[in-house]
Amino acid sequence: MMRAKGSRRLVSALLLLVAGMTVGGCASVGVKPWDRDILARPGMTPGDDVITSSLDEHIYFSKEASTGGLGSGGGGCGCN
Amino acid sequence: MAATERKPGGLRLALAAACGVLGVAGAPAHATEVSTGALVYAEPGRVKAFELLADGTHEFASGNIGTFRLVFDALTGASANGAVPAKNAQTFTSPSGGSGYTTAAGETPLDTTFKDTRFAGSGGLTFPWGRLTKATVGAYGSFESDYTSLGINGALSRDLFQRNTTITVRGSHFADSVSPMGGAPVPFAEMPAPTPGEHDDKAALEDDGEGSSESKGVTDLGVGLTQVLTRRTLLALNYTGTNVTGYQTDPYKILSVVDGTTGDPVAGTGTPEMFRYESRPDKRSKHVAAAELIQNLGRDIMTLSYRWYEDDWGIKSRTTEVTYRLNFQPTRYVQPNLRWYHQGAADFYRRYLVQGQALPEFASADYRLGEMDAVSVGMKYGTKLKSGNDLTMRLEYYKQTGNHAPNDAIGNLRDLDLYPTVDAWIANVGLTFGKQ
Repeated sequence: MMRAKGSRRLVSALLLLVAGMTVGGCASVGVKPWDRDILARPGMTPGDDVITSSLDEHIYFSKEASTGGLGSGGGGCGCN
Repeated sequence: MAATERKPGGLRLALAAACGVLGVAGAPAHATEVSTGALVYAEPGRVKAFELLADGTHEFASGNIGTFRLVFDALTGASANGAVPAKNAQTFTSPSGGSGYTTAAGETPLDTTFKDTRFAGSGGLTFPWGRLTKATVGAYGSFESDYTSLGINGALSRDLFQRNTTITVRGSHFADSVSPMGGAPVPFAEMPAPTPGEHDDKAALEDDGEGSSESKGVTDLGVGLTQVLTRRTLLALNYTGTNVTGYQTDPYKILSVVDGTTGDPVAGTGTPEMFRYESRPDKRSKHVAAAELIQNLGRDIMTLSYRWYEDDWGIKSRTTEVTYRLNFQPTRYVQPNLRWYHQGAADFYRRYLVQGQALPEFASADYRLGEMDAVSVGMKYGTKLKSGNDLTMRLEYYKQTGNHAPNDAIGNLRDLDLYPTVDAWIANVGLTFGKQ
């Protein structure tokens, strides 16, 4: 119970920090719309290879106790 | 990561690093794009899996984007049942209860009857909500002989700051149903001796009340952020909280009951060795945060990712992965990848039970809940075919290691491997149609 409360506090603090820095920091970085040529190239998008990402996710879900990450957190099959 | 370096612009990068989030793929450049893949997974002497997958995206004239995914996989081979090895051969009852299998002296007990097939399908629709906001709704279903999962999901994303920032909020709920072969065992009940002929018919088992189903609910809530840092750098950050309630015990996993002095298995009721079914809590709360940095290096692309995970079962893990896409020709690349994973054990993980000691509230000897390290090393090759379609091929090696000889092992167990290394080879091919 104590661990769960601690984790919740940590997560809340992180979310507040991220939200605050988003407003203050994200507005000042980035590129103009005409400078996105490199960002549009293959390999520059998170989760670009959906097939490999999906297969990996299934394998690690089946072999390890941790799930989730940059995508959905859980559910789906009885392999874990 | 680069964002933490102390050099000109470092503060700016550090601020930006805090802005990272979930990678939300943009609309496809082509109206329809379909990716297909096939995978072979093999653990020598253990599990083998074959998986087929198709994933499609279609952009309608209205600007809505429809997606679908279909998956089929087949599993066969042998899986560790949780019991410890022993200096003599051991006999186990198969999950159906109708037969048994034997493990040789000194060998890790593997359930050789492990076999399953799964069909899964999902679909989604993303539609614009104003100029900068998109909403996504979807549904999911997965079907195995002993497990069904049905889910719904939704997400809302908004672009900010000249589309350099995307914030996403999403949620999902899965309703899972478990119908173990032979019925869901009573926690810590003794594994009975095989009773040939009586337990081969699953329907008959359910009539007897032994084949009861159990249910589980999984709810995810997440927030993500993608941030363009420079012309060559993209950062994604994500947090997901997951709440799981209901049946989470693995009905096929058992624990050995051993003598407190010799470490040898003790006799059960009508069986030469005593094994008890495991028991896990029916609630689990998970927190996972992940960051991914994609850096264009001119010709090549490097991706770094880190994942932080903790749950209230006491499991903590850290995952680091790096990939390097070497674009040796305009339409061809090779991409080595390296992944490190470390996991701490669940609070209730224990390798065996000791005769005469009071049973704990929960216990599992499932190696996947134990302390472990895992490494993946792989290489992917990608090329654009003359037809314009994209072909990828990958080969990967995965190795999982744990504590073979715990200091507190009892008697003869000190001479046996209590956490065997797991090796796996993974090969997959993918073909994408319609990508520009």
